Amino acid sequence: MKRLRLDRLAGQLLAAPISPAARLSRPSRISRSIPQTCRHASLYNTQPCQRRHQSTTASQAPEEAPLESPLEEEFLVQDHEDGEPTLDTLRNGPLPSPHPSRAASSAKLAALHARLSLSSKIPVETLARALVDPSADAHPKYNNANLAYVGSTVLHYHTSETLITRYPRLPMGILFTAMKGYAGNAALHQVARAWGVESAAAPGEEVDPGLLQYDPMKPTVVMNKWGYVRAETIESQKFKSGKGLSGRVMYSSNPFGESSAAKALPNFEVDDGRNSKSMLLQSAPANAHANFVRAVIGAVHMHCGRDAVKNFIKSHFLSRTLDLSNLFEFDLPTRELARLCAREDFEKPIARLESETGRLSRTPVFVVGIYSGRDKLGEAAGPDLDSARVAAAINALKAWYLYSPGQVSVPSDTFAEDAAPWKPAYVDIGEIIS
Amino acid sequence: MRPLTTLLGSCSRAGQTRLQSSTRRTKKALKLPPHPAVPSVYHTPFKFLPPSDPRRQAQLSSLLRNSTGLRSTAAASSTTGSTTTPEIPALDGKHQVPEPKFNVTREQVAEMRALRAADPMKWSVVRLAEKFECSKLFVMICCKASAEHQAKERERKEAIKARWGPIRSQAREDRKKRRTLLLRSEI
Repeated sequence: MKRLRLDRLAGQLLAAPISPAARLSRPSRISRSIPQTCRHASLYNTQPCQRRHQSTTASQAPEEAPLESPLEEEFLVQDHEDGEPTLDTLRNGPLPSPHPSRAASSAKLAALHARLSLSSKIPVETLARALVDPSADAHPKYNNANLAYVGSTVLHYHTSETLITRYPRLPMGILFTAMKGYAGNAALHQVARAWGVESAAAPGEEVDPGLLQYDPMKPTVVMNKWGYVRAETIESQKFKSGKGLSGRVMYSSNPFGESSAAKALPNFEVDDGRNSKSMLLQSAPANAHANFVRAVIGAVHMHCGRDAVKNFIKSHFLSRTLDLSNLFEFDLPTRELARLCAREDFEKPIARLESETGRLSRTPVFVVGIYSGRDKLGEAAGPDLDSARVAAAINALKAWYLYSPGQVSVPSDTFAEDAAPWKPAYVDIGEIIS
Repeated sequence: MRPLTTLLGSCSRAGQTRLQSSTRRTKKALKLPPHPAVPSVYHTPFKFLPPSDPRRQAQLSSLLRNSTGLRSTAAASSTTGSTTTPEIPALDGKHQVPEPKFNVTREQVAEMRALRAADPMKWSVVRLAEKFECSKLFVMICCKASAEHQAKERERKEAIKARWGPIRSQAREDRKKRRTLLLRSEI
């Protein structure tokens, strides 16, 4: 008869992707349904109450297990002081992720550390921890969820302040998309691949600590928190309101304007078929790689400080090229341009034919410029008069939206000791048509 | 030993010569990169620069210098043409959008609505616009046709669309696709 694996069954407690913010503030939140005796322990197979049910024959054996190395003893004692896994409970079966003491002897980890030119202040053990996804090891002290949360907030802060000061007139939808392009899962996945991070076939104690460990079949943590989320967000989702752009601005719970607050609820209905689609993780590898990258940012922030993490983000993420002019899709560009000119007290925009060739041929070309008064706002060529006019209006609108004051200071520059006082940056008043 | 040439010789018949043009080659030849002279959207026009931008002051002084220089030198040396600002292309009267006249009174709007409600076939949007000397858009803002008239118009349009053959339907579909591509700046 097979023994019931209660630790496996307890996996349902993590079925909903739990926000690490909740975990940071209230560590007992995920184990609310677990009895009080073991509320600090999570799914790590160290819970005394679980062990009692699980094992009827060899319950005393782990306590007599000898220690393997003095380092491990030190590590365990440290844990014991925290009131977390105790000595006797740790030796109950294989560990879900490699032991931290093995990090120092991993060539892959040392190579990754050197490749990223990380400071020597960041120990390889932290880098090893950044490589353990919550789906591989659910214990919050051994996985990267907390580091990734710190990293994601720092990354989102620097990305958004850079985008807003560099392109102060971007419409909100484009700003959300640009945030996703710089700091979204797909972009961070690419960064992790460029860093040369490989993933283990399956997580476990025996794998090299230099490999990214995640399990696509197990629940993980999705970084979908973004500062303050309004209390009425859940209500608005229930009634399917707040789907417009202004609703996304108000109710979005992540930096990309998507409202996924319901996913972060611990008592989310998993059985409900209506909700099951939003429960699915889009891409487990991308999520794991992105969380690793965020965890590295978090580690740099924790060990090296604010300036180092700013430089790290600037050199690894904000230096990537994202062509913002390709993100636009207009609905009524000529009308939008007319509204813009009315708003800004410019003369009415007028399309004028600059030049043309082959009007009666199969492939004519018309060059149309849009003028406001004597100033040209945009110009484009097209195969017929109307498309040339629409394209010229699109170019004029893009020229408005993509205005950049150049290299200006960002708010985080004032964190430095000898910083000049903050000069308010120019930011546009808002949408033209919303 | 010349098997290839013999094979080719047996295949080639008179009148079947391979031309340079094919669908694929024509498409490929038409795929042109944007012309280098196309202005970049990252270059902000002078009018769009905010007052706080230092480029505004710099361009303003150069513009002033150019315009004063133009007046003084235009008479002296009209042949150089280097200092002249580019001419704004003229508008032809046909395509000009007339300025709104704001000539329709409140009573006239009520009359317009009554006429449209009484006989929408006779008093179409075009005829009402002619009668009250306003734009068609203004008529459409003021009046709303009855539901049965709208349904009749829709039926008429459906009947016209039903007469279209595959070529015309396809052409309409392609036009829609080109429009979406244009709004995304993909063509």
